[in-house]
Amino acid sequence: MALALGLAAVAGAAAASEAPPAPGAPRGFSIPAKDTVQLANGLSVTFIDYGSVPKVTVLAVVRTGNLDEGDSTWLADVAVEMLKEGTAAHTASDIARVAADMGGTLFVGAGAEQTTVGISVLSEHAGAAAELVADVLRNPRFPEAELPRVLANLERSLVIARSDPDSLAGEALAKLVYGDHPFGRVLPAPGQLATYDIAGVRGFYQRNFGARRTRVYVAGRYDRAALERALARAFGDWSAGALPSDLPPSASETLQLQLIDRPDSPQSSVRMAVAVPHPAHGLYFPTTLTNSLLGGAFGSRITTNIREDKGYSYSPDSSISARRGSALWIMQAEVTVEHTAAAISEIYREIERLQREAPSAEELDAIKRYRAGLFVIGNSSPNGVLGQLAFMDLHDLPDEFLTHWVASMYAVTPEQISDIARLYIVPKQMTVVVVGDLKRIGDSVRALPELEGARMP
Amino acid sequence: MTLAGRRLSSGLIVAAAIGGCAAQPLTTGAAKTQAAAITDQSPAPAGINIPVEYFQLGNGLKVVLSPETSAPTVTVGIYYHIGFRIEPRGRTGFAHLFEHLMFQGSANLGKMEFIRLVEGNGGVVNGSTRLDFTNYFQIVPAHTLETVLWAEADRMKGLAITQENLVNQQGVVKNEVRDNVLNQPYGGFPWLSMPQVANENWYNAHNFYGELADIDAATLEDARAFFETYYAPNNAVLVVAGDFDPAQARPWIERYFAGIPARALPARPDLAEPVQRRNKRHSYEDRIAPRPGLAVAWQVPERGTPEHFAFGLLDQILLQGEDSALWQKLVQQRGYSGGVAGGINLLGNLFNYDGPMLWTLYLVHDPDIAPDTILADVDAEIARLRDAPPTAAELERALTKIRADLYDLAGSSTRFGLVDLLASFALFDDDPARINRIEAGFRAVTPAMISDVARRYLRSDNHTVLIVEPGQVPAGARP
Repeated sequence: MALALGLAAVAGAAAASEAPPAPGAPRGFSIPAKDTVQLANGLSVTFIDYGSVPKVTVLAVVRTGNLDEGDSTWLADVAVEMLKEGTAAHTASDIARVAADMGGTLFVGAGAEQTTVGISVLSEHAGAAAELVADVLRNPRFPEAELPRVLANLERSLVIARSDPDSLAGEALAKLVYGDHPFGRVLPAPGQLATYDIAGVRGFYQRNFGARRTRVYVAGRYDRAALERALARAFGDWSAGALPSDLPPSASETLQLQLIDRPDSPQSSVRMAVAVPHPAHGLYFPTTLTNSLLGGAFGSRITTNIREDKGYSYSPDSSISARRGSALWIMQAEVTVEHTAAAISEIYREIERLQREAPSAEELDAIKRYRAGLFVIGNSSPNGVLGQLAFMDLHDLPDEFLTHWVASMYAVTPEQISDIARLYIVPKQMTVVVVGDLKRIGDSVRALPELEGARMP
Repeated sequence: MTLAGRRLSSGLIVAAAIGGCAAQPLTTGAAKTQAAAITDQSPAPAGINIPVEYFQLGNGLKVVLSPETSAPTVTVGIYYHIGFRIEPRGRTGFAHLFEHLMFQGSANLGKMEFIRLVEGNGGVVNGSTRLDFTNYFQIVPAHTLETVLWAEADRMKGLAITQENLVNQQGVVKNEVRDNVLNQPYGGFPWLSMPQVANENWYNAHNFYGELADIDAATLEDARAFFETYYAPNNAVLVVAGDFDPAQARPWIERYFAGIPARALPARPDLAEPVQRRNKRHSYEDRIAPRPGLAVAWQVPERGTPEHFAFGLLDQILLQGEDSALWQKLVQQRGYSGGVAGGINLLGNLFNYDGPMLWTLYLVHDPDIAPDTILADVDAEIARLRDAPPTAAELERALTKIRADLYDLAGSSTRFGLVDLLASFALFDDDPARINRIEAGFRAVTPAMISDVARRYLRSDNHTVLIVEPGQVPAGARP
């Protein structure tokens, strides 16, 4: 036992001389408490009092984003970037300095359905942080002189995205899956950004920002009474604005394949997507477990196969991409060019195996423990809980989603996992995109039996 | 870089830096507070106070224990004092390849069994290779600590790797390099490319990720020799942080690790860099990149010295955050780019390295702006601090940003940053309690010291400029 074993020893030498010591008894975990108050104008504030250090995050989540931009792709991003360019009271430089004096950086971001404006600061500045977030959200100046710079920055990001295989694949996949819905347009067309003007930016803001679409989350350590007063002062008289728009997308259920040529690519970017139950759907829990077991963990079947067995790929990964009322299972892998078709074929093989036979209880239990562990890690920080609650609010999930999370997950049976694979992870309904050197890939992908008859745009 | 696997995603989205994978947020320290009383009236809290229990086993293994109960998890990290700086010549990328091999099997754990053991117990697991260390870490539910200690000890005792597994991981690592460097616009810029042109000493200036041919050339014998040379208990530190009882953990650590024999360690090679006394300029074409990239680097003061702390504040004032002088000038006023990034140690922070280091800033700009125009603005901002000390408000703002970063590290439920600093201070300084003196180190810096450091280190005639020339975007890339 004290000897260092030579590396030349074969795997067989590992034949179990010693088993790992068994874990002790699991400890309890309770999710940090939260409570929500609603201001008269419809704006809600959720307080999470939790954390071991004197920091606090104040984050406003507005129910708008690319969903509301129609075919003006990235108009939401332009408008949200412009929020930082100054308010009635502060220049952009002032904002940056005021934020830093509190120990933070103002962050803004437009998402598909949620736009965020927030800051994380030293606790003693909680009230001032609330004022800053409210000021930026409510009183943007939208200085026209700054718009060309903001547009140039986004244009630069756009051309870089078009040089990046991941972005190209993502753009194509979204278009095939979501078609004409705003979620189907991930990148603006060439020249499109240059057509946006300050009136369009203001218009987007006026149509889409207001109290009824906004929820403020506070997480960390803070003086509750003082912060509640500050938030009421800062947000209480904001106009109600519109209700959130309700434009659920419908995802393709047709077999589709797009091959995008990127000459001399040293890898092929493979993306496969199919519609699965969304977070508010009764089968969401078994779906997320199916994902973890299939491709969503280091020890998952697909990673074990195409990475640890075949060496085709470094970081293959599957995930659930959720929108309100619609979710996709997305498999992604950057694979060796000569193994492009083989890698896709192995992914199909793992899906089909799961469809045919339920996983063993042992395999599924390990995945459940993994997910339970991630749940604890994810929910033991103020910002982790905040993110979880914002997700639940977007999807209209009740508190029980969180409080019963572990129990709901442990209730899933091996047969349900196979059912999910059979009902939803259906190769004949998938959209497949490959970005790579088509000269070298040739007909190999098209020739896969699972892709026979695929619609090819 | 690095990973033998995937990253844990964090809760909040942080504004992305330009180039992607390289730049780390910067900084630093860590710590937790004992639920300090926090009210709007109280003065600024007295700083961080991390519990640190430090000892060495008879075989030389350093051990740091840091109990903290805010989340029912423990984070375990083992750091070996071997990074990619001192991998063998002719075997570039070997330190990182070897990191992958550490997941391929040991006496009692076959391939994938280490990963399944951790994930199946509710944990996450990964490893990474950096300049001066290779680390292996897990975040696991508190009740599985003993299991993880046993597993880490099992692979410290010796590996059981087959030729087949070596070939498999050579394939994985080559795909990692393609993923993160070769198939990305600005891949490796500037974290991988700048050290190769700014440094003179081979140890600091070779391709850390590895030439694909060198990765292919690695043999089982190389792996055996590397393990024997560097993966000794007396070349490592074990850190346990989180919800555990040190009185219970210590006997486990003794039981599983104490029997692993110490080995004679080779002398560390001379990593010293000659002081740079003239400007250097290099450029290369990135076939994929559509816009020019510009990076500038300077040598920094020796780690842990008062000048180093002063330089850390200089970095805050010049480059960290949107309030910083260079962001305000280059991004907000001039509009050269959507951001400027960088700092000391692009693959870590001010403290987790052990040798010469660069301060690097970088951005991607449009082709109608000449690099020298941008460089003139950079120099003008630095000149302001060379000519006069920062104002009291500037210095206080820099200290506030550092304090906030320290709290973030201390309050993180993953405890990665905390474990990383404890390990680095133990491994490189034999003094993990140094973590609690970080803020004092910064507080001891005077405005005059900052100006002095700017004059001595950030001159107009001792930097290295690296330019990325955009290549032609392949026609077919446009859908």
